[in-house]
Amino acid sequence: MADKTVLVVDDEIHIIHVVAIKLRNNGYEVLSADNGAEALEVALREKPDIIVTDYQMPVMTGLELVEKLRQNEETKDIPVIMLTARSFAIEQEQQDALQISGCLSKPFSPRELLGNIEDILYQKELVGDN
Amino acid sequence: MIGAVVLRFRKRLYAIVTLAVACSLLTVGLTNWRDSGDGEGSHARGYLQQIPVVPACYIALAVGVILLGWYWLRLAGVITSIAEIIADDKTSDLCPRKTSSALATWSKADELHRAIAERFDELTTRTGEYARQVKDLQLQIQLSQKRTQNTEAIIYSIRDAVIVVDEFDKLLMANEAAGRLFNFDFRRSQHKHLNELIGADKSEFADFLSRSKQSKGQAKRQEIEFTDGDERTTFDCIVSCVYDHNRKVCGAVAVLHDITREKEISQMKNDFVGHVSHELKTPLASITAYSEMLVDGEAGDEEMRKEFYSVIQNQAKRLNRLIEDILNTSRIESGLIKINKEPINLAILIEEQLQMIRSYAEEKNIKVTGQKPIVFDQVNVDRDMISQVIVNLLSNAVKYTPSGGTVRIETEVDEVESLVRVSVADTGVGIPEDEIDHVFDKFYRVGVNKKQAKGTGLGLNLVKQIVEKLHGGRVFVESQVGVGSTFGFELPLATGQTAAMA
Repeated sequence: MADKTVLVVDDEIHIIHVVAIKLRNNGYEVLSADNGAEALEVALREKPDIIVTDYQMPVMTGLELVEKLRQNEETKDIPVIMLTARSFAIEQEQQDALQISGCLSKPFSPRELLGNIEDILYQKELVGDN
Repeated sequence: MIGAVVLRFRKRLYAIVTLAVACSLLTVGLTNWRDSGDGEGSHARGYLQQIPVVPACYIALAVGVILLGWYWLRLAGVITSIAEIIADDKTSDLCPRKTSSALATWSKADELHRAIAERFDELTTRTGEYARQVKDLQLQIQLSQKRTQNTEAIIYSIRDAVIVVDEFDKLLMANEAAGRLFNFDFRRSQHKHLNELIGADKSEFADFLSRSKQSKGQAKRQEIEFTDGDERTTFDCIVSCVYDHNRKVCGAVAVLHDITREKEISQMKNDFVGHVSHELKTPLASITAYSEMLVDGEAGDEEMRKEFYSVIQNQAKRLNRLIEDILNTSRIESGLIKINKEPINLAILIEEQLQMIRSYAEEKNIKVTGQKPIVFDQVNVDRDMISQVIVNLLSNAVKYTPSGGTVRIETEVDEVESLVRVSVADTGVGIPEDEIDHVFDKFYRVGVNKKQAKGTGLGLNLVKQIVEKLHGGRVFVESQVGVGSTFGFELPLATGQTAAMA
């Protein structure tokens, strides 16, 4: 999965840092933002292959970010993985409606996150090839 | 009494008068018949003619008149005697002995005396009974009025709104709280229909009351929300039916308890649980992730490994601080906390906490400075508690200050007031004027800060509790939106005696 770009969004710098190291160690290019509004700008500008975002963030929440992404033609198909400290916060219907590819509850495993990212990008490639 | 006596003798009087009149009429009739010339019955007429009828009749009439006069005189004597007794003795001294003496002149005085005395005694007894009954009734009326007044006073003094309606939903009673809530004056609204008194904006209550009355059975309960402009109030409304002696519903009593504050607290508690779970999980997520990275050998070199260890350590401390905040808040509120006060150099305590917070500030590119030279006066405090106050104020300042800002902690001694003042100034987002009075409230989070950073709403409340409740100090805050805030506290300086104990 080399050369793929992942946008990591979290207001906790430690989380961005650890996820970035994990992904870079596995050949990904990593972009970062510490709130939803900044992430939206980065996403529109850089068109990342996948976005990993925290749910509860200042300025703009992860959910609001996804809603904005889905409204924009250029970003509407970018897969999103949501990290949340409240696993029950996002209903399955809401996930489906906003095309959220996966949810990981905090505390999460960077290993598991990497596996999810790889699976989603693989599925996306398969769909693209067809 | 005189009337009774007259009544008793009137029958005899009538008999005498009737007898006298009958004798006169008989005399006249017989005289006429005797003197007529009719042949039939002449034998009888002849017999009558031999009798001196007219003189006999006149004699009978005279005897009747004499008897009448005699009776009148007797009766007048009796009445005069009784009148004299009454005039002399009024009522209470009218004893049988005196009555007997007065009536001795009359032949049937004893009989009359007994009759009058018995009647009089009976009337006196009855009058006494009636007087007692009237008094009892008056007392009962007064008691009943007092009870009604007490009941009304109780209902009027209840803080909850109380409304009583009859079976037709017409107002029977309402207290002042109800009048204020529904904007009517009870004294002018009695017997008016509820729909006339309650506006359309509060019609939900009138509907609920009618429904509850119709359904009978147990008391009905419902939360009802009223909106007045931007202000929302929630009431816990309980309606109980009132039954008559036939168990038929003849009205209803409604009690409306304002639960707006309870709802707000409940909402704040729910928010608190959400914030706390998030706050606890955030450092835990870092600890878990960094540990896994170390286990998986993802930290490339020794320097990175050290960095990972440091993150884990700092996040563990952060987690501990949060848990301490929660526990201490609970302990202080329940009064179970034990504090160990000792004379402490506040400057040293501040310096220790500055060291703790610097790594967190550096992560956000915020400069934290302390005052030099610092105050070396001692305060008599619990070391752990005041450390928590300082670290809470510093971490709060760092949290709400944007990257590149500064946080400065200063101390000063007020010799006059004999206290030390510690202030933490930041260049953060500031607090709006209308919210500044609430910043030390439990669970309260400034509106603009909810978007700025996460938090439990416990930190500043704990600062206030520790400083004011446990140490007799005072907290203060000054702020300007967009410029920054200064939070601080004052503690009394240790007296010479307590300082010497150090």
